[in-house]
Amino acid sequence: MKYAKMAVPSRADHLWRYTPWPRIHPSSVELVPEATPTRWSVSEGGSLEDGAPRLISEEEIARIFLSELGRDAVTLTVDGTQPVVHIQAVASGHVSVGHLHIEAQHDVTVLIHLSGEADWCGLHMTGAIRSNTRVSVGFVNELSKNGKLLRCDDWTVERDATFEHASLSVGGFRCKNDLRTRFNGPGATFKQAISVHGKEQRHIDHHVEIHHDVGHTNSSLTIHAACDDASHSVSTGLLTIAQTSNHCDAGQVFKNLLLSEKARAEAIPELEVLADEVAAAHGAASSPVDLDQLHYLMSRGLAPDEATSLIVEGFMHDGFSSLSSPALIHEMRTRLTVHLECELKR
Amino acid sequence: MVMAREILRIENLHVSVEGTPIIRGLSMTINQGEIHVIMGRNGAGKSTLANVVMGHPAYEITEGSIHYCSEPLEELSVFERARAGMFLSFQYPAVIPGVQVGTFLKKSVQSVSDEPLKGRAFRKQLNEAMASLEMEKSVLSRYVNDGFSGGEKKRLEMLQMLLLKPTLALLDETDSGLDIDALRIVAKGINQVAPDAGCLIITHYQRLLDHVKPHFVHVMIDGKIIKTGGADLALELEAKGYDWLEPTAGAEA
Repeated sequence: MKYAKMAVPSRADHLWRYTPWPRIHPSSVELVPEATPTRWSVSEGGSLEDGAPRLISEEEIARIFLSELGRDAVTLTVDGTQPVVHIQAVASGHVSVGHLHIEAQHDVTVLIHLSGEADWCGLHMTGAIRSNTRVSVGFVNELSKNGKLLRCDDWTVERDATFEHASLSVGGFRCKNDLRTRFNGPGATFKQAISVHGKEQRHIDHHVEIHHDVGHTNSSLTIHAACDDASHSVSTGLLTIAQTSNHCDAGQVFKNLLLSEKARAEAIPELEVLADEVAAAHGAASSPVDLDQLHYLMSRGLAPDEATSLIVEGFMHDGFSSLSSPALIHEMRTRLTVHLECELKR
Repeated sequence: MVMAREILRIENLHVSVEGTPIIRGLSMTINQGEIHVIMGRNGAGKSTLANVVMGHPAYEITEGSIHYCSEPLEELSVFERARAGMFLSFQYPAVIPGVQVGTFLKKSVQSVSDEPLKGRAFRKQLNEAMASLEMEKSVLSRYVNDGFSGGEKKRLEMLQMLLLKPTLALLDETDSGLDIDALRIVAKGINQVAPDAGCLIITHYQRLLDHVKPHFVHVMIDGKIIKTGGADLALELEAKGYDWLEPTAGAEA
């Protein structure tokens, strides 16, 4: 299917209810504008080669749009010499687009740092986590504060692999993240953790799908969104467990911390469980700063704004607590702390 | 004769919570180096007293006054009281997920200090205090009170007290739920701070007083101090309970 022949998705669709396609499209919805390729660079231990497998759903408008916007794609291969590989992605120009594919045959932690001044950035990340590997991927969105981001992820997790994926969303004005992971081998484990910091008018939408197409697979999803000013966070989850996928264990927890009266947050976990012998759970909570926590910190000498900042930092740090990769946790928390310290200085 | 420095003076204090009177005319004075103990039944107003002195916003002073180091306290918010040298060891300390104990301690000490915190000096002080309280270093990377046992929480409160070096230490049932070893360690913390501070200890049990020697024991009933004595009063309460001190006890007899 070509983008030009696709209908604009309806807001009745779960995926497009909170950030409709026209609001995240870079211009008029009928257009596929000229785009500048994202600039990629990689640290020691990894190499980037041109080209990537096309893993495009014939039905999904965002992925088709991204594929038509830019044909440039890169594939990361890791040589196993470094425990952590850093990738810099720089988005520039009016419209920027990039596709990164990760082929991990070795245990590794990959940190992807997105920055740049692009007005609009489209990013497609795909990857196959091969059998018996332990792979951790961290993604930090630090786009300029006026940029829009459309990000689509598609991951497959093979037999007995362990995959951890963390996202820190602190950049961009309007961000739509559509993150999908599919198990295609038993014995695999997937943990996804997302921390969001909403400031000013930021609108951050995370739609996370995890599909247990085979049994004996485990997944967890944690989203922590701290929203200040008039920011808006949306977290929608879709967890599916196929009819034959017995002995799966899956859970989703969404927490929102509302820091101002105008801040808004939606948390909508959704489960489609067709198998009988599974454990599946979900929970969602939104609340303002806990007054007992605030009082406790103030009783130790912290001024109200200092105490609130520490609670927010802790809340966002805690978003990564479900992960087990020390390198990934360390990297994400370091990025978060640096971001919050910069925010305080502004 | 040198007069001891006055740390806390409470005069005819009346306190309400959401319109309900809890403290009904309480007066007491704590001088530097003195350990005062308040005992009383549940609901007598003991924790309310500690919280109102620390400035909890839920409590309203309807009458009377509190002076700290001869200055009125009413205008000071909670953090300003802490920076002025007041410390409350909470009965139920808040859990703060995601905030590591080490980070929290550093920020707290920095907050109450007049000078920039020097890393090496702070670490030395921290190591000494933790050794004194027989605490594992691993606690520093845990989240504040998250998943802590009752004893661990109380030890962390004592650690904070040692590091913050308060002028007035308010300890709200710090001994509750502690085993014998933990009680001994908590008492050690109190005894380290007590000589330079005024201490107000709220407790239900005499057993803490085997390790911490109070100068005054007060009995609080219905929001008032109805009897004050020395350490022997705690033993008497342990043996006889509170009924004999009820205002109506004499009339009924």
